Amino acid sequence: MAKKPSLGRQKIKIAKIQIKNHLQVTFSKRRSGLFKKASELCTLCGVEIAIVVFSPAGKVFSFGHPKVESVIDRFLARNPNLNSTSGLHLVEAHRIASIPDLNMQLTYMLNELEAEKKRSETLDEMRKAGQSQFWWEAPIENLNLHELEQLKDSMEGLKRSVSIQANRLFAENSNAMSFFGTNNSTNGVDHYDIKPVAPMITSTSSSAAASHVHSYGYGHGLF
Amino acid sequence: MTRKKVKLAFIMNDSARKATFKKRKKGLMKKVNELSTLCGIDACAIIYSPYEAQPEVWPNNLGVQRVLAQFMRMPEMEQSKKMVNQESYIKQRITKAKEHLKKQIKENREKEMIEVMYQCLSGKGSIANLILPDLNELGGLVDQTIKDICRRIESLKKASAGKGVHAPPVLSQSPRPQAVVVGGNGSNATNEMMTRNVVDGVNAMGGMQKTQWSFADWMNNPSEQNMGLGGQGYEMAPFVDQNPNVIWPNHFFP
Repeated sequence: MAKKPSLGRQKIKIAKIQIKNHLQVTFSKRRSGLFKKASELCTLCGVEIAIVVFSPAGKVFSFGHPKVESVIDRFLARNPNLNSTSGLHLVEAHRIASIPDLNMQLTYMLNELEAEKKRSETLDEMRKAGQSQFWWEAPIENLNLHELEQLKDSMEGLKRSVSIQANRLFAENSNAMSFFGTNNSTNGVDHYDIKPVAPMITSTSSSAAASHVHSYGYGHGLF
Repeated sequence: MTRKKVKLAFIMNDSARKATFKKRKKGLMKKVNELSTLCGIDACAIIYSPYEAQPEVWPNNLGVQRVLAQFMRMPEMEQSKKMVNQESYIKQRITKAKEHLKKQIKENREKEMIEVMYQCLSGKGSIANLILPDLNELGGLVDQTIKDICRRIESLKKASAGKGVHAPPVLSQSPRPQAVVVGGNGSNATNEMMTRNVVDGVNAMGGMQKTQWSFADWMNNPSEQNMGLGGQGYEMAPFVDQNPNVIWPNHFFP
């Protein structure tokens, strides 16, 4: 799933973009970035803000805190006390009160994502190292017929071993379950807390990254 | 750019908050300006702060009024379709982040399984450590790999058949792997394979029992394996060994 390398950061001239496709892509990205910056400004400094942006196609995007409409009203009326009835105040207050918690959730998610990305890089390095070290780990396209046949034999042997071991484990599990007289999957669920493949792979990643080995979407609170 | 990552929370320190506000407000205005110019679109920004009575705006008061008028002329559904506030915006970001995270975890797991596969193959890892779901996944991966290998073998055979050329045997010093002895009794098999470990290309000729080649062939196929240099680790054809304590001997890299 390799990404096509982008052009990276380039200095561009601040003038209307000539190529329609580029213009649309730029709009999409920059509008997204703009809203992100606006959101951060609100979070960090607690200010009221409204941004209205028209797309090249004529659609309108808007960001506002606490609400686009209230900021617009405030601006147009130039009356700082132009907020609505106290009833709506309460609803608004509720909404705003949830924001710090949402930000914490977001931060958590972003940190997890960064950790997984680092792990991905580590795994890529391992793959690269393996490829240059052992001929059988090279991409299949690089192997000749003789090597391919050998590798195939090895793989088939591995497949046999895996099957045998799997059947053995399955039999053990069945015995265990019938011993406890239960047929539900509680035993199975316990397994999911164990780090499945971590012991076998030595990596130089940080403990934070390694600890994510277990979170394969099993019982993750926020999933 | 920033040296430190900033925590996404209200800045408690007043002077720090004010300084941040000034910088970021300036940056935000710059970004709106660039967006408008680069894409040739209408936009406006209004920022209220506790530091000033009047809001800071872009492009200017008149420009803002014009854009707002344009905005309010639109049907309400169009207005609200892409309207967000802090709460809804952050929720959107959380959702997107969750999706990315899920995808990345899945991708990492697949990559990790490939490592496991190769480690089991070379005896560095043992399948005895794996739990059942992982074992099943590994089995699936091995199956898929075998399929890919077969497909590649087929296409190579077709290609050489088409050309009418018989591919010369390349010296890769790896004899056919032995069958695994289940039950941890693999030491015998291990020893057999150990003795076949080759030291250099010429010696390998004796070790190889299946393939025949001439010295000319060997010389004509220079590769790391042939030259026996490698520079990195060189090991023979791997195979699963039930005994996790086996360490493949490597004459080059003890």
